[in-house]
Amino acid sequence: MKKIFTVPDMTCPNCAMHLEGLEDELAGVESITASYKKLTMEVVFDETKLTVEQIIEAAHEIGYHPEPVAA
Amino acid sequence: MNLFVAFITGLTTGGLGCLAVQGGLLTSTLAHQIEQDMLAHNGSGSTSKFKPHIAQPILLFLLAKLIAYTILGYLLGSLGMVLQLTPLMSAILYFAIGIFMIGNGLRMFNVHPIFRFFVIEPPSSLTRYIRRKSKNGTSFFTPILLGTLTLFLPCGVTQAMMATALGTGSPTQGAMLMFSFILGTSPLFFSVAYFATRLGSAMEKNFTRIVAVTMLIMGLVQVDTGLNLSGAPFSISRTISIVQAYALPAQTGTSIEVTENGYFPQVLHLPANQEVSIEWVTRNTQACSRSVVVPDLEYQKILPTTGRVTMDIPAQEKGAIIRYTCSMGMYPSQFVFDLEE
Repeated sequence: MKKIFTVPDMTCPNCAMHLEGLEDELAGVESITASYKKLTMEVVFDETKLTVEQIIEAAHEIGYHPEPVAA
Repeated sequence: MNLFVAFITGLTTGGLGCLAVQGGLLTSTLAHQIEQDMLAHNGSGSTSKFKPHIAQPILLFLLAKLIAYTILGYLLGSLGMVLQLTPLMSAILYFAIGIFMIGNGLRMFNVHPIFRFFVIEPPSSLTRYIRRKSKNGTSFFTPILLGTLTLFLPCGVTQAMMATALGTGSPTQGAMLMFSFILGTSPLFFSVAYFATRLGSAMEKNFTRIVAVTMLIMGLVQVDTGLNLSGAPFSISRTISIVQAYALPAQTGTSIEVTENGYFPQVLHLPANQEVSIEWVTRNTQACSRSVVVPDLEYQKILPTTGRVTMDIPAQEKGAIIRYTCSMGMYPSQFVFDLEE
């Protein structure tokens, strides 16, 4: 499953790299591509292993507040 | 930009700016080293105090980074030389660097979302590769590889310095400029990594502001340099130096003293409506003033360290002004054709 989030509190390109680092922390994530320019994060994940809420929670823990974009 | 300025820029804003982007790589290398040392210490059953060996990987990381960026500076300088930058091209390059820096400064202050487009973001595949490499590896290989890979994660100040290295048009100058800058960033990197402290978010915010202000100031300086090199009548530095020069008695004659502090007299009054020859006089002059640029006459010359070089100026109308500067846009000066024949 692919889900796009807006992340309004990214302040520099390093934030995008921080968020992309979650792909190594969260079981079930295939890839995370974050863009500071667009303030977005695209997550490809296995919905049988992970929920959108868990992704949001993991991002909260490293200081970001993503909001899912309605499909 | 001279090497001392590059060093100080690295020591202050360069170090702070790059820590945010590259510091993570270094600390994750260290975390791995500490884990390894901890395992070895616990396994040995030693009762002595645990002391991880972190100085060596930090130094290896910084050394690899220094070498990589020096080579990059050499390549950028070579590229600038191949391009054979004319004063106008240099002026345009300085403008571009200045606007890039001002854009990044305004982005850091979050003035408008459009300024986010001034950022050069490395592709996700590259940052993913670097991130994964930083989590595993041996004690020698990883710091050296990660130090080299910082080439692909330059911060805004480093990017501006890279553009300046390109503008030097000299492989040696480009290499020395990047060497000085990266050397300047090293003490802060070493200190922060060695004491294994992480910048708190409040501190980081203040550092970001300092970097943003410096980027704005440096950006304005670069735009000012571009104005001087293009022979434009107005620039901040030209206005200041010419106002100062006009406060002195009018200087006449046919020679210009080229010194470490610029050209004297800064404003030379010459006869109008006749061809004149002036002499550039150097006396053990080592500064960039040796490389003189007169945009209106398309004259660009590197003067000998000590000697006299003649330059012919065709007849100019009364009241005409010909502006000149050094090839780095410093020491703006001018000839004024207002004397009777």
